[in-house]
Amino acid sequence: MTGPWTWVLAALGAAACVATPPPVRLVAGPPLTLAAAPGVRINARLKPALELEGGTVLRFDSPHVTPDSAYFAAPPTVMPPTKTRRGTLRVSVCLPRERICRLVAMSVAW
Amino acid sequence: MRIIVTTVVVLSGLAVATRGPGRPAAPLAPRPSASTAPGGPAPELTNASWLNAERPLRLAALRGRVVLLNFWVFTCGNCTRTVPSLVAYDRAYRDRGLTLIGIHTPEFPPYAGEHDKGNLARALARQGITYPNAQDNDRRTWDAYGIRYWPSFVLIDRRGTIRYTGYGEFHQDDAEFRIWDSRIQQLLGE
Repeated sequence: MTGPWTWVLAALGAAACVATPPPVRLVAGPPLTLAAAPGVRINARLKPALELEGGTVLRFDSPHVTPDSAYFAAPPTVMPPTKTRRGTLRVSVCLPRERICRLVAMSVAW
Repeated sequence: MRIIVTTVVVLSGLAVATRGPGRPAAPLAPRPSASTAPGGPAPELTNASWLNAERPLRLAALRGRVVLLNFWVFTCGNCTRTVPSLVAYDRAYRDRGLTLIGIHTPEFPPYAGEHDKGNLARALARQGITYPNAQDNDRRTWDAYGIRYWPSFVLIDRRGTIRYTGYGEFHQDDAEFRIWDSRIQQLLGE
């Protein structure tokens, strides 16, 4: 696609890149580790998932959870797969001040 | 330690996605569509699988009653901590014309177990929930109402009109509990 739409799409993309800090990020390992942004809590009752091509799903976990077992008290981890280096990360994050849960899904590569 | 490159981010709830450093928090809004804004008709429930109900419930058959929809999922702490308040409303107002309905909408794909009817039944028992719950596994009701967050609430009057919408955990006798309580009493009194 060329012409003015190219610039519109580029501008939208740039704006999105500037204003979309993800509430979690994946840190390379091994193990792969989920790091939450300040104030963000990761739902431990719905363990984060790394969905790989072919249907394999890896679940992040940590032995350290809050007393009510609702959130991780330490960053959850998972051992990375050996054959692939990309997938879809799915995380349920909860924001205390706003008292809600949100779903985050993102394509990741490592 | 190397940081992973994120290529695409999709959020259910765009407030986080649109908030930049140092900027005020973007206002949270349930994203009502023209058909689900307060004052509009409540979209019909079309879910086929229900618990605590002898047959699928339809809003058309509930005309004359006030209906409170609670969009929730049993894996969400914000949702489960709000349940005691909803159970209290159900006990206080069911006989006076309130029908409380849980719309159980999973966050993750089926591999996480939220779609399983047995798991939901156990969660209802664990939480002491006796009011009807629909399994919204395909998110048809979630989408019809333009919901973005767990938990969310939609209060519908006796004529089937959406009167109030909202979201977020609350507890018995806190300010938000009292607001919803007064809204329910208002609609029951109409």
